[in-house]
Amino acid sequence: MADGMQTDQVADTLRKLAVVFADFEQRLEATPLIRKLQRGRFELTDYQTFLVNLRQQVKDGALWMSRAASNIGEAHLELRSTLMRHAVTEHRDFRLLEADYVATGGDVEVIRAASKNVGSEALSAWMFHEASRPDPFGLLGAMWIIEGLGSIKAKPWGQKVKDRLNLPDEAVRFLLYHGDNDADHMEEFQEMLRMVLPDEAVAERIVMTARVTARLYVLQIEEIAA
Amino acid sequence: MIESDRLRDAYMTGVGAFLPGPRIGNAEMEDFIGRIGGRSSVVGRRALRWNGIEGRYYALDASGQPLHSNASMCALAAQAALDDAGLDKGALGFLAAATTQGDLLVPGHASAVQAELGAGPMEIASFQSVCASALMAAKAAWLNVRAGEADVALACAGEFSSRWFRPEFYEGTALVDAKGRPAVEADFLRFTLSDGAGAVVMEPTPRPEGRSLKVRWIDMVSLAGRFDPCMWAGAATADRADMKSAWSHAGPVAAHAAGAVALLQDFELLKIVIRAWIGVWLEKVDQGRIVPDTVDHLLCHYSAKSLREEIVGLLKDTKAMIPEEKWFSTLRESGNVGSASIWIMLDAFMKSGRARPGETVLCIVPESGRAMIGFMMLEVV
Repeated sequence: MADGMQTDQVADTLRKLAVVFADFEQRLEATPLIRKLQRGRFELTDYQTFLVNLRQQVKDGALWMSRAASNIGEAHLELRSTLMRHAVTEHRDFRLLEADYVATGGDVEVIRAASKNVGSEALSAWMFHEASRPDPFGLLGAMWIIEGLGSIKAKPWGQKVKDRLNLPDEAVRFLLYHGDNDADHMEEFQEMLRMVLPDEAVAERIVMTARVTARLYVLQIEEIAA
Repeated sequence: MIESDRLRDAYMTGVGAFLPGPRIGNAEMEDFIGRIGGRSSVVGRRALRWNGIEGRYYALDASGQPLHSNASMCALAAQAALDDAGLDKGALGFLAAATTQGDLLVPGHASAVQAELGAGPMEIASFQSVCASALMAAKAAWLNVRAGEADVALACAGEFSSRWFRPEFYEGTALVDAKGRPAVEADFLRFTLSDGAGAVVMEPTPRPEGRSLKVRWIDMVSLAGRFDPCMWAGAATADRADMKSAWSHAGPVAAHAAGAVALLQDFELLKIVIRAWIGVWLEKVDQGRIVPDTVDHLLCHYSAKSLREEIVGLLKDTKAMIPEEKWFSTLRESGNVGSASIWIMLDAFMKSGRARPGETVLCIVPESGRAMIGFMMLEVV
């Protein structure tokens, strides 16, 4: 009986999250930068600006995840371990992004010194705010959005960038590598949901956090001048 | 807001379909649509494996001569639907016709269908889109009956795609490369779409004998504001989002040379559009508009078998899957007939004897065109 309730709430939450992701993907597709990419109008400067803008938020990713892990209580040690593993896996990813930028002919000092755009500022502030709460399970919704982006969007984007700009693999590793790395993310994500559900309030918070994260992520991409 | 008791119920009292010529198997299909540059298609084999179609019908003979027109096929399907309902065409008060590409550019398809049917003066409406145009026409017919504007309304849909797939649409254009190979975005659809028509008659009361289908609701969601065209004709691939560069601006000769006249499909974008369709479906389930467990029969117009596999995984995990034994389809036997598919399927479904009173029949019509999906909930009475 309890198992049935859990399965139902995991499925309900996953369905709501899938709806949020679909809306997220559509909003992303309609941003000026992605429209340029889809319409074959993407230039090298667009890609470089994209990397510069993305780097600051990617660097923060492992940091808010670590902070979230530190705020997870003893009752959910397994989830804490999972987040810590995620943070370890990802905390050097921004270096890959920098290397891609350099491989396109960019100066590493430029990408390192760049400030966050308006969307990245809002997204980052939101993530750290959520991660600072006790038992910040809502952040599973944020992971759904950001990891979904990695497993569904990154590789096709990377392939399009590579083809359009005639770039070597080593200039597109961040995008291409994410696509390969996150193939099992659906199964692992459901496992994480089972660690915190059933719980009505938590389920609602996960979906709301996904929606806010999605909107702020789109703002970040919109802010990249195209 | 109009109170619902002032609206009438509307029932489908007749369903009809028309498929032209003999059934054509995969081995002979290129004899009918022709071979671009005289060579068999390489892409075609792959397309057929992907979409799972084993037979289809063409309104062309083996020499490429037309056996019918789009409008005449629609008129034949309309007549079949009227016969099924036990009505004469004189009873019609409203005719809605849908198609992707009508026989003429102007005027609308419904005018041509009315003329072919030989029907007297009445109100008509033309709906031009891709597959979902069928449900646009159905919704117009349904609302006309519901509002008391018509006592007998007919919605039909037809396609004569094969005519657009003849080699002349591609040869000597930018769609064929220096080695004579057609672009994938052009060639793939030639092995996906075929010809035919279907129709339904709607009235405010069920038919006196036999089964009718009460139309509970028809919902359509278009996401055109978020996507560029995914399946289109009238622009070259690179220009398709810029309506100022549509084919008519350059004139027909230059547009043809630029590959702006043939029917094209962006397969990369299609993958994204498929996820958008799933998103709308999941939202309908989440809102309780569709309760999967209460659906007895699912008629899904999907243009490829492989779409289904992609859909199934997520649907199962989110308890939004309708079990496969409830799916009814004619795709493999009679092909993908665009807007007409849903009526061809419904006609075969009603003739199969599967429909039992009280059961629900959900029709789903996704359209890649510029990202749209339609749903129609029917109840067997």
